[in-house]
Amino acid sequence: MLRTLQVERRVDPHLSIDRYDPEAELLLLHFGPQHPATHGVFRMDLYLDGEIVVKCVPYVGYLHRAVEKLCEVLTYSQVTPIVDKNDYVSPMTNEQAINLAFEKLLGLEVPRRARWIRTVFAEMQRIASHLLWLGTFAMDLGGALGGGATVFMHAFRERESIMDLFEEVSGSRFHYNTHTIGGNRHDIPAGWSGRVKQALDVIEARIGEYEAMTLENRIFHERTRGVGVLDGTLALELGITGPNLRASGVDHDLRRDAPFHAYDEITVNVITAEGGDCLARTQVRMGELRESIRIVRAMIDSIPEGPINGGKPIKLVNSIKIPAGQTYVAMETPRGELGTYLIADGSPKAQRLKIRPPSLHALSAMPYILPGGTVSDALAILGSLDPIMGEVDR
Amino acid sequence: MSVVVTALVTSLSILTAILTVTAWAIWFERKFVARMQSRLGPTMVGPSGLLQPLADLVKLLQKEDIVPEAADRRLFDLAPKLAALCALGAAAVVPFSASIVGAKIDLGVLYLLAIGAVTVLPVFMAGWASNNKFALLGGMRALAQSLSYEVPLVLSAMVPVILGGSMDVSKIVESQIATQWFIIGPVWLGLPAFCLFMLAMLAESNRIPFDIPEAESELVSGVTTEYTGMKFALFYLGEYVHTFVASAAASALFLGGWDGPFAPGMHWMVLKTFALFGFVYWVRWSLLRFRSDQLMRICWYWLVPVSVALLLGAGAWVVL
Amino acid sequence: MSSKPNLDTTAPFEHPLYKTLEKLPGLSLGTASIDDLLAWGLTNSLWVFPMATSCCGIELMASAASRVDLDRMGTIVRATPRQADVMVVAGTITVKMAPRVLKLWEQMPEPKWCIAMGSCAISGDFYRNLYSVIPGIDTVIPVDVYVPGCPPNPEALMHGLLRLQEKVHAARRGVKVVRDPNPELMAITKPSIPRLCDAERTEELTRAQADDAMRVTEEQTSEPLEVAYAPSTPLPPVFAPDFAGLLRELGVDASSTEGPPIVPLARHYELARRLKDLGYRQYVSVVASHWPAGLGRKGKDDTEPEHYEIAYILRTVGRGSRVATWVVRAAIGEPVPTLFPLFAGADWQEREQYDLVGVRFAGHPDLRRLMMAENYVGHPLRRDFPSDAPAAPWR
Repeated sequence: MLRTLQVERRVDPHLSIDRYDPEAELLLLHFGPQHPATHGVFRMDLYLDGEIVVKCVPYVGYLHRAVEKLCEVLTYSQVTPIVDKNDYVSPMTNEQAINLAFEKLLGLEVPRRARWIRTVFAEMQRIASHLLWLGTFAMDLGGALGGGATVFMHAFRERESIMDLFEEVSGSRFHYNTHTIGGNRHDIPAGWSGRVKQALDVIEARIGEYEAMTLENRIFHERTRGVGVLDGTLALELGITGPNLRASGVDHDLRRDAPFHAYDEITVNVITAEGGDCLARTQVRMGELRESIRIVRAMIDSIPEGPINGGKPIKLVNSIKIPAGQTYVAMETPRGELGTYLIADGSPKAQRLKIRPPSLHALSAMPYILPGGTVSDALAILGSLDPIMGEVDR
Repeated sequence: MSVVVTALVTSLSILTAILTVTAWAIWFERKFVARMQSRLGPTMVGPSGLLQPLADLVKLLQKEDIVPEAADRRLFDLAPKLAALCALGAAAVVPFSASIVGAKIDLGVLYLLAIGAVTVLPVFMAGWASNNKFALLGGMRALAQSLSYEVPLVLSAMVPVILGGSMDVSKIVESQIATQWFIIGPVWLGLPAFCLFMLAMLAESNRIPFDIPEAESELVSGVTTEYTGMKFALFYLGEYVHTFVASAAASALFLGGWDGPFAPGMHWMVLKTFALFGFVYWVRWSLLRFRSDQLMRICWYWLVPVSVALLLGAGAWVVL
Repeated sequence: MSSKPNLDTTAPFEHPLYKTLEKLPGLSLGTASIDDLLAWGLTNSLWVFPMATSCCGIELMASAASRVDLDRMGTIVRATPRQADVMVVAGTITVKMAPRVLKLWEQMPEPKWCIAMGSCAISGDFYRNLYSVIPGIDTVIPVDVYVPGCPPNPEALMHGLLRLQEKVHAARRGVKVVRDPNPELMAITKPSIPRLCDAERTEELTRAQADDAMRVTEEQTSEPLEVAYAPSTPLPPVFAPDFAGLLRELGVDASSTEGPPIVPLARHYELARRLKDLGYRQYVSVVASHWPAGLGRKGKDDTEPEHYEIAYILRTVGRGSRVATWVVRAAIGEPVPTLFPLFAGADWQEREQYDLVGVRFAGHPDLRRLMMAENYVGHPLRRDFPSDAPAAPWR
């Protein structure tokens, strides 16, 4: 009688459900693709024994928008606004990741001012992204008609202030298209840094309120402690990166370990937590929220003067041809390592462009860490992994 | 003859009052919650959105009534009606003042608890009849939860019964007026019993942090997943009436009913009921929800032993 | 539940309640005001079913949040289609998702409306010609209000809801609301299949879509390809400090400047295993690429046959993180040993590359498609695959 589908203490997602206790009456629950808590269009088939999940079969691809094919059809500079839509919670980091790859193969040096501005943008995107995550995660735990919704509303209120700041820079609330090959398209407006600091003061003062409703709440602890435990070895094997990996006790952050932008000029305190459960993932993200605020504060006043674009003039960007070659470039986004593998063939279009999304790897942990939990845990785990389906499916 | 007419008029007016009050309690909740979430809530329909519940009702009346092909039609139709009926039926014995009470029956508390316990039946019925897996899970959770929380609810409600020496809700209130509110005295048992009663009541009426049968983020909409239009409205209404009646019962059993520091009368009862009602929604929109197994653990490990101890304590105090 | 969508978008849904009300004595004179009352109820309580798939979904959430607050006009979000009045299609709808959208639309009770929020839902935006995206949701379900933008601001969505209120009021009064037909615009934005409102839209297409939506969505499992690992000659244990040393050890030419070193297929698994022992413990990615005949690393090269290149990326953890990238070459149809026994993350990554590029991974425990539906034909990221391949009956 096999009570869990495990091999040597690790759940094996490929074991057939027929291997499970034949006496058990199983219920197959199709969860998604359209479900209030699947963070987009993600589908899981859950085999339930009572309310205990025995086996989880995830399905992705309901938002497969063929971005990689589109990147082969369009020229290099046209690709930037397309990849904006991948990770739609922190669009700027997508632009940065893809332009990093182009710049590397071109051998372009990005001016120091542009690198600093990119760093500030990346950190502010992290704040906005973690705020949105906090709201949606609380909603998974507390319901759209309950305390979770209150956390959600408050988190969104603060996120709006960051959206306003970005709108001021790029003219768009959401999909900015503000980075280009060799630098930035838009400089920061006058007086912007003062407004950023004002917004950060408000957010920092209110983080305490969110923690009162989540991390300091007994019910939150009950719901998240020991739920969805992901050990560091499995996390590394699965390619899980970012806060999810750091919550498993692995001290790894590309901002410090393989610096890009201007991260080599500043100190980044890497937040880690032991435990690898949903609680640890929350602690790491809340810590990163404070850390990002600190980094932006430290950088915003000392952005160096100079040009913001060191490549060709913007008008010529459209005709850029990248010499034949292959490269892999990665950067740390709010969700982890966002990589770009670029195969160029000397023409103005990529031969193959693969985007390595951190969310896809995070989601692939579901069949390993969910079995043994309940349906309610499924939501807690899914929410704590913070997948963005636009990035998973591309 | 006049007795019958009086009874009819009283019960009809109580029924209408409760339905009206409940409808606007929904408005009150939406405004209250909106302020908690730094929003405005309904503002466009009528002054300050006061006509919002009416608009919702008119809309729901016009919606198509869908019965899924695979559903158990009779149970599916019966469940929402039964849900509203049970919730309203419980209101019969709650005294709003010395004279305004639907039915003065000697075993009022027993009736209240019995009707309260029956409300789980339509919920499970709906879950079963919908032939939807989410609804079924919701129904099963509701059944398990209600049966468990019935125990501390009944036991904690017995404390004022023993202290008041009667099963009649009006008599319990009168004995409180004669001595003092049970939440304060005569013995230091009323407050814990009140807390237990409120907790179990939250669970009975499926409110956060015990709203796992509905759990919209997990089970889409729980047992009401397949219900449309008026049938959904009946469930919705039943839920609010249930919470309202339970708040009223708690005010009558523990908070001295229509008694007040000055000018006793119905307004005190209404005030207390609304205060408790508001408290329920304050809790609902501040807390996250428990998992079903944790819910059971809380009930059987903590609430049941404590309520048994309280009951024994109350008995000992009366005997001694 | 009927399997055929309601195509007639102009005729308002007649609830039996209206007939009952009209029969009531004394009320017949006031039918107009009753109609007004009913329309007032309908318009002021528009409950939204969020068909939120992508970016626009975030703005839909923002519309319900503090700043814009749709609750002001009585609009709340319901998670189940049964209790909703307006389906807001927010985001790109793919070929894989379209049947589900149609099914959910069918599950909503009449009277119901649809708002297409954002360019993707309206026309497919810049994904419109791609193999996996449907060119606008109005090729599947009837749309009442279009809210353009990428994504539209929350205020724009609110404006759309207000316009919908006007439309419902007008319909109740018997005024026929017809979209201003702009033939030029309609011709420019012509999708690859006719919209529901187009004259050339056929019943067959609608039926085909409905049938496809009702198809059981259970996806079958493909048979895993069982191929024994190519035997490699055993090597003496080495303790090379880094990747380059290991490559030298395995006799791999690492001098190519056009890309990572090409490792022989037979040595590939062994290299990965030894890299893992060396500390490259984090699985990063696998990238397969299709090279048509006559294309090589240096550009045009007539001696090159058609082949795949599969790049693998591993990473060390901690300060000074190092990346190891290598490439294996495989002929078309030639199986490549899977890295799944070493890295569990290879499971989904290799499935994705199999799905999109067509490389077969030998020994993979569950080699199914990841992104496309299991019954999809072809591998879209091959160079010879047209980017605008049709996918009946959705695009």
